[in-house]
Amino acid sequence: MNAIRWSLRWRSLKHRSAQTFLAVAAIGAAVALPVVLLSVGGGVYAHELSSIEQAGFSLSVGSTGAHGLSGVHVLANRIDGLGGVAAASPILSIAVDLSTPGGTVVPVLAEGIIPAAFAATQGAAERALLPSSISLGDPSDTAHYSNGSYTGPSSAQVLLSTPLLQTLNVGSGGHVRLSPSSNATAGVQFTVEGAFGLPPGFLGPSPLFVALLPLSQLQSLVGLAHLPSGGLLDSADSIQVAMVPSQAADPVAVQRVAAAIQVLVPYYSVVSLTEQTAELQSAQAVITGFYVGLSSVGLIVGLLFLVIILLRRVEQERQSIGIRRAIGVPAWLVAQGIVAEALALTFAGLLVGLTAGVATVEFLARYGSGGVADIAGLATFDPVTLGLLGAGLVGLALVASVLPIRRALTLSLPEVLR
Amino acid sequence: MSAVTSPAVRLEGVRRIYHPGGADEVRALDGVDLSIGPGDYLSVEGPSGSGKTTLLNLLGLLDVPSEGRVVWRGTPVERFSERERTRLRRTGIGFIFQRFYLLPTLTALENVELPLQARGLPGPERRHRARALLAQVGLAERERSFPHQLSGGEEQRVAIARALANGPQLLLADEPTGELDSIRAQQVLDLLEAAQRSSGAAVVVVTHNPAVATRARRHLTMRDGRIVTDSAGR
Ligand SMILES: Nc1ncnc2c1ncn2[C@@H]1O[C@H](COP(=O)(O)OP(=O)(O)OP(=O)(O)O)[C@@H](O)[C@H]1O
Ligand SMILES: [Mg+2]
Repeated sequence: MNAIRWSLRWRSLKHRSAQTFLAVAAIGAAVALPVVLLSVGGGVYAHELSSIEQAGFSLSVGSTGAHGLSGVHVLANRIDGLGGVAAASPILSIAVDLSTPGGTVVPVLAEGIIPAAFAATQGAAERALLPSSISLGDPSDTAHYSNGSYTGPSSAQVLLSTPLLQTLNVGSGGHVRLSPSSNATAGVQFTVEGAFGLPPGFLGPSPLFVALLPLSQLQSLVGLAHLPSGGLLDSADSIQVAMVPSQAADPVAVQRVAAAIQVLVPYYSVVSLTEQTAELQSAQAVITGFYVGLSSVGLIVGLLFLVIILLRRVEQERQSIGIRRAIGVPAWLVAQGIVAEALALTFAGLLVGLTAGVATVEFLARYGSGGVADIAGLATFDPVTLGLLGAGLVGLALVASVLPIRRALTLSLPEVLR
Repeated sequence: MSAVTSPAVRLEGVRRIYHPGGADEVRALDGVDLSIGPGDYLSVEGPSGSGKTTLLNLLGLLDVPSEGRVVWRGTPVERFSERERTRLRRTGIGFIFQRFYLLPTLTALENVELPLQARGLPGPERRHRARALLAQVGLAERERSFPHQLSGGEEQRVAIARALANGPQLLLADEPTGELDSIRAQQVLDLLEAAQRSSGAAVVVVTHNPAVATRARRHLTMRDGRIVTDSAGR
């Protein structure tokens, strides 16, 4: 008789351990999903936010028109003259062909800049990648521009990105030709003044082959100095405006400058980074809401699993529960036992899910391909978010206990103890 | 309605019908009147299915009648909430089930501790009292054993220790000697009688065993859900 009871006991134990395993695995899977989504999403967001916050400029002047901004040398000067502005840096980005004396031709992204203004509008991270002084022969790009006549002497100096320099195998002091795409005959020879590093590119391809040269020289090269009719064009894509350090963090000062620029050029858009941050935040809120929605589907499946397993346990333990009730164990103590079981399973699942989620992110960061690894590498495990997740799960465990407790307390004693 | 004069428990015209109106309707108790006073010692005999366990369930507040009334120390049981009935089971009633019903995952000691814990006794006091009860039934050495490691007779004695734990006024025993040889059976009855003498509890013992029945002072016989003979006369 004892042998039979032994084997029954053992069987029910094995049975229960399979159930326990399933419940913990289901809750673990339900937890791992939000852990991965929220930590990676939060990390990417934090990264984007910090790259905005660490930018060296506070305002950006732009235009949706086909030619971008025009008259930018003069405009930049006038913006620079506004109170509170440290620098106004027009930028023209356009693809050109670069050829070496050896005959290699590669397409590169040419960035036309005013060297001194450009350096002053870069954030600390980018500035560290640039040479300590960017002069390109004429820091203010006024000599060649020459009051819009573009007849002054040209320094014809260029800075090349490190990957480009390595690919071309030219050193400082070497010569390259830049020409508008598919018009090699219109090329101009430039002297390589040095190299600059590229910031790590996240979330999408970033150009590796970049050339920095004086704005006026790029404008002449690609025909954006003058209109075909001969009128002055002096074109750029945008002007980045840096505030003096004491006012950079003051939104009122930034808005005042934005308004002043808007008065100068009512037809261009003036966007502050604060506005960009706000846009990013509202986008992030939508994405987080989506993640939470997605995760709650998983959590609800985990919850249902928990309910089913607790109900099964009540069914299996109905006699023990009946005995307890019969000898007068109060209902709340029976309920407590079920809640304790639900919480134990939930905590085990939470632990498994957190471990699995963190391990997944770490694995992707280490072994994921390209962009996946970059994104996973940004993940931040925010204790508040994870704490909320845990608290939510405990709440769900309590909800999951309700039905099994009702079931346990409505067992008919004469039936159960027949 | 003082505890001395009023009966411990009284059944008035009690019927217990399972699945009423259904094809499988069973009249497990079919009109029972019974009054049990403090210190009574009753035996209940009757063929299998005659309603003995059903009677104990009603006396022990595990079940409620389909018709009629169960009056516990002067108060009709239907006036009690489920919570109060649970409290009465805990403090007033000791149940020794037909199949022992020890909790398989608890040791002998823990099984005896259970009603004490339900009453809210603190750990050390609980253990002390449970040990004394186990010693009283001669199982001091087996406190760490699990039910499956005990013989049938030992399990029965743990069940008795558990039933006595909270000093009940009504002790209900369903075939407490069923699995025991006659010597063990006598010992179990000695235990019940000792408890009765020391606390003045009423005892109801269901049995098929005439030797057990003769030790009681009052004898009931049941058939088809009715009490057909009662030595006390009615
Ligand atoms: N929960 C139940 N549902 C339906 N019928 C029941 C239930 N409990 C008992 N019965 C029936 O009620 C009748 C009385 O049962 P009870 O258990 O009281 O008999 P008993 O006298 O204790 O029998 P035994 O000597 O075999 O223990 C039996 O016919 C039984 O099948
Ligand atoms: Mg019976």
